[in-house]
Order: sequence, then C-alpha cells, then structure tokens
Amino acid sequence: MKKIITALIITLLLLSLPAAAAEVLDKSWEEIVNEAEGETVNFYMFGGDRRINNWVDTFVADNLKEEYNIHVHRVPMGPDDYLNKLLGEKQIGRQQGSIDLLWINGENFKVARENELLFGSFTEKLPNFNKYIDQNAEGVTHDFGYPTEGYEAPYGKAQFSFVYDSAKTEAPATFAELTAWIKDNPGKFTYAALPDFTGSAFVRHVIYNTCGGYQKFYEMQEEEFVKAIQPAVDYLKEIEPYLWREGESYPATQAQLDNLYADGEVWMTMGYHPTKAAGEIEKGNFPASSRSFVIEEGTISNTHFLAVPFNAPQPEAALVAANFLLSFEAQYNKMIPANWGDFTVLDFDKLSEQERRKFENIDLGEATVPLAELEAHRVPEIPAKWVPMIEEVWSAEVAR
Amino acid sequence: MFKKNIYRKIILYALIFLFAFPLLLLLVWAFSGRWPWPNLIAESFSLEGWRYFIDPANGAVESLATSVIIGVAVTFITLLISIPAGKAMGLYDFPGKGAVKILVLAPLIVPPLAVTMGIHINFMLLGLADKFIGVILVHLIPTLPYSIRIMTHTFEGLGDKFEAQARVLGAGPLQRFIHITLPLISPGLFSAGILVFIISFSQYLLTFLIGGGRIITFTMLLFPLVNSGDRMLAAVYSLVFIAAALIFTLLMERVLVNPAEKRDHFYI
Repeated sequence: MKKIITALIITLLLLSLPAAAAEVLDKSWEEIVNEAEGETVNFYMFGGDRRINNWVDTFVADNLKEEYNIHVHRVPMGPDDYLNKLLGEKQIGRQQGSIDLLWINGENFKVARENELLFGSFTEKLPNFNKYIDQNAEGVTHDFGYPTEGYEAPYGKAQFSFVYDSAKTEAPATFAELTAWIKDNPGKFTYAALPDFTGSAFVRHVIYNTCGGYQKFYEMQEEEFVKAIQPAVDYLKEIEPYLWREGESYPATQAQLDNLYADGEVWMTMGYHPTKAAGEIEKGNFPASSRSFVIEEGTISNTHFLAVPFNAPQPEAALVAANFLLSFEAQYNKMIPANWGDFTVLDFDKLSEQERRKFENIDLGEATVPLAELEAHRVPEIPAKWVPMIEEVWSAEVAR
Repeated sequence: MFKKNIYRKIILYALIFLFAFPLLLLLVWAFSGRWPWPNLIAESFSLEGWRYFIDPANGAVESLATSVIIGVAVTFITLLISIPAGKAMGLYDFPGKGAVKILVLAPLIVPPLAVTMGIHINFMLLGLADKFIGVILVHLIPTLPYSIRIMTHTFEGLGDKFEAQARVLGAGPLQRFIHITLPLISPGLFSAGILVFIISFSQYLLTFLIGGGRIITFTMLLFPLVNSGDRMLAAVYSLVFIAAALIFTLLMERVLVNPAEKRDHFYI
C-alpha cells in the first residue's frame, strides 16, 4: 500500500512539473549539447556595468560560439523587470517565453521559487557543477538562507568591502573604529538610501554589529524582529548628524554615492564587490589612491546564481551556457580584475594543482583586500525575508 | 536705442548659454575620465566610451538601427492615421465631435503605468509581445494624440476651399489629395513627423515591457548605464541619441519641405 502511494505521489509530482523541464532534464548531457547547437541563449542580466557587459559580450559570447556554436544574446534587464515579465507570462499560461538564462539571487530567487517561475532542479545535469562545486557548501545549498535545491547554479561570489581614499584618510579596522571615523570626519560618510542593494547591505552590517551577531536571525519570529533590530535603528539615528549633508538626504543609489566619492565629496564608499575599487580605478573613475578594507568583525559575503525560467524557449542552450560559465576557464577569466573581478565559486580542493595556482596568482590589484584576509572575515547573509522588513523600518524610522 | 540693444544682446547670449552649456558639458564628459570637484577641467581624457560604443560586440550600433527602424515605421503609420483623422476633426462636423477630440488625448491624460500592464498582458495573449510589430503598435499610443492634434489644427487653418476648387475643375479624390492637400499640409506633417519620431525614439518603458528584451532599442542600453552612474558612457550615448534625432529632423526637412516653396507659402 505504502509503495503504491509513494508511486502515485511521484507520478503526480512528475506530472505537475512543466512537461518541457522533465523532458529536457531526462536527456543525457551529450543529447543536450547536441540539441543546443545553433541555438541562441537569451541571457537577462543587470546591464549597468560596462565591464561586465563587455565580458559577456566578448569572452562568453565568443567561447560559446566557438565551442558549442551557441549564440549569446545579452539583454540588459534587471531582476525586478524580468520577474514582472515572468509573472505576467505565468499568469496567462505562456509556455514559450523569451528568457533562457537569468542572473539572480537572494530575495529575487525566493520570489521566483515561490511563484514557480523556474524551470526545475537542473544543477546536477551540469558536468562542471558535479566536477568543481562543493555541493554541501552553505553558499551553494542556500541563498540568503533560502534552500536552492538545484534550481539555481552558483555563478560568482561577492563580499562586501568598504572603499576609502588613502591619500586623505586611514582605514578603520573595527566597527567601533568605523563609528569613530564617521564622527571624526563629519560629512565625509554616507550610504545609499534603502532599498538600494548596497545601502541595504550596509545596514545589515550595522545590525550584525549592534544587535549581537547574525545567528539569532535564522530562527526568529516576525513579531520579534522589529524589536530585535531597534539598537541598529538607534545607531543609524545617532550617526545621522555626522553623515553627508547631516543625513538630511541620502544618495538614492549606490551609483550616486560612488560619484560623490569619485568627486571627492565623501571619503568613503562601499560595494558588494571586493574588486570594485580596483575596477573603478582602472575605468578611471576613482582616484588611484583608493583602497579597500573589511572590518575585523567581518563583512557579508554571498553567492550569485544562474537560473533558467519555466518557459525558456531554448533550455538546452541555457544549460550549456550555465555549464560553460562554471568551467575553469570562464571562472578564471571572470576573476581577473581587468575583465570583471568576480570571485570564483569553484572549490579549490577539486581543482588540479596547476589550476589552483593559476587562481592564487591572479593579481587582484593593490586596491583590493587580499583573498586570505577576505576569507578570514566573511559572514553570511541573513534570511531573505528580513530584507524587505529592514527596508520598511529604515524608511519609517531613519529616513523620514 | 543703444541701451535697448545691449539688453537684447545680453538676453540673447544668456539664452544661448543656458541652452548650449548643458550640451557642451555633455560633450566634455564624453571624453573625460576622472573629473573630481573642484577641478575646472577633467584630470584625464579618453576615447574609452566611444570605443565601447563602436565595438560591434556591445550591440550599440545594432540597437541604434533598431530604434531608427521602429521610429520610421511608427512615424509612417502615425501620419497615415493622423491625416484622415485630422481632416475629419478639422473640417467636418459630426455628432460627438467634442467627445472624440478629448478621447484622442486620453493616452496623454491617463497615466501610462496604469494601462501598460494591462496592455502587456493583452499583447501577450494576442501574440504581439516580444515582437517588432508589437513594439511598433504600442508606440502608436503615446504618439497618435500629438500628431492627430497637429493635423487637426493644420486642416482647420487650411479649410477645404482649395480642394473644392480642384473638384470644380474636375480632379478626382486621389489627384486632389496628391496635388492639392498633401503639399498644403506638408508643414504640419513635418512638425508631426519629427515629434512622433522623437517620442518613439525616446520610449523606454513601453519598449521594455512589450519588447521583453527581444527588441533592444538604444534607450534600453542607455538607461541602465545612466542609472548606474557611468557618466562618461552615459554622455557618449546621449550625444549619439541627440545626433540621431537631429539627423532625422534634417532628413525630414529635406523630404517634406521644398525650399523653393518656403517663400511663397501664404497660410498659417
């Protein structure tokens, strides 16, 4: 009896999967590669960084064309917009969409999963995922505390770091020193108004350091949360008079804060991207004396992912592209600061001696915090569901 | 007398400065690397932005072509609809004319965001989303009110006496349209055409939603770059944007306005 029920449940589950996904995922990798040949993969991703755009348009596009005869069509559309588009398509039951591959993580992944906007659990299909990725690592199995369950494949790693101008000031080493620095240098520090991605990450650092760490937020009830982050709100109010323009206004986006920094109006900026300073110096935006630092208590690190939408027109090509992006050559090329400077998700223990050495020998530039130091000061994200709540509290209490 | 002249000159130059200075700044930014306050000139100059624009891999030139093709198609269709519509509203009386006149302006009055989501869903159901034709059709929404309005006024000023004259002399409907009406309304067509092209060319949200990323126009590339604060590239793309609109205006003027006729136009 039990067996029959189990079998029934499994068939039901299989039937409820979109037909296309089950079909594609049943194929062998060779079949997938063969069928992907000559197809176009429509890659929807944030389009505001010309180095990243260029990397996808040249290195990724050229290699996929050469190795698999797959054409890459990069579309500059961020998560908010493509999620809206997918939700609309889901609503009318459109089975043939226009997006093949998404660059996604955190809250957006959670929304996509909860609305069943994704294709299926595909990561096990990717040879490079099986070969190079530590499948039990927290950064692979969970995304902002939300289980990934193979619906997204890791793509790159980021770690928050602060950027300062070494020609003008010294870097604080701890959170307390950072606070002191802000008060000693009135008007020279600010952060982007929430819900900006980076500004929001800065506030999470404040929460970690004023409310007693991050662990407790994993098992907290919603009613407790607002009360629990009260010390952080008090802290943000306390530093407000020392911020740029006495905190009367905050830059609306991280880009505006970066421009304020580039113009010398503030002396510190930040980024969810450890090689940001190196890259901006290279682009000619930031002064060459810019340096990065992380605080002793650690900075937040997360993984960004690749996912395939439920109605991808060429899922085979999307899988091949995702697999290519997890290859050693792509991950290595991506980590070189002149190309992008995005950290690899590959497990160093699974690499050959030679490959590992190549990674370790990448010159991240003197503006970047050394890899070992970054790794030693790494803290995880808190669950995605808190992020919108923090933004609400911030708007109500701090911004006003 | 002398004093009056001075004031006039001051005002003239102030206005020129006011209009030209932002453009000039854009031009400098397009070639500037780092330019921190309070430096009067940039610290470094580079052609990096232009190189990125020209590189075919980045698709800027391709998207510019897409924008122009869509713009021209939208202009053509809009004018095609606006001529009879304008004539009907400018020359004829019919019941409910006032209501129709207001309804034509409705797309400008109703906030676009309120309707675009609904349009998007319907376009998807009709299979128009993610297609060229869908984008062209959706651009008609913001362009038609302006162009119908302009053509209505053109016909109102023109009256129907010239056409009546031709009819008396025995010209058929097609002959009347080609030889009489079209030359007389060409200034109106010119203004409407330019306006329509520029509106279509600068559409972002509608193209973004209906085109769904399959149709990539120039504004779709420009927007994220401006948004992420890449000032040099934003300046480069903005200059290209202005140049494209300007070139189209000049071309339209060549096609529609006959220089010999300019002098002896005797109406409006």
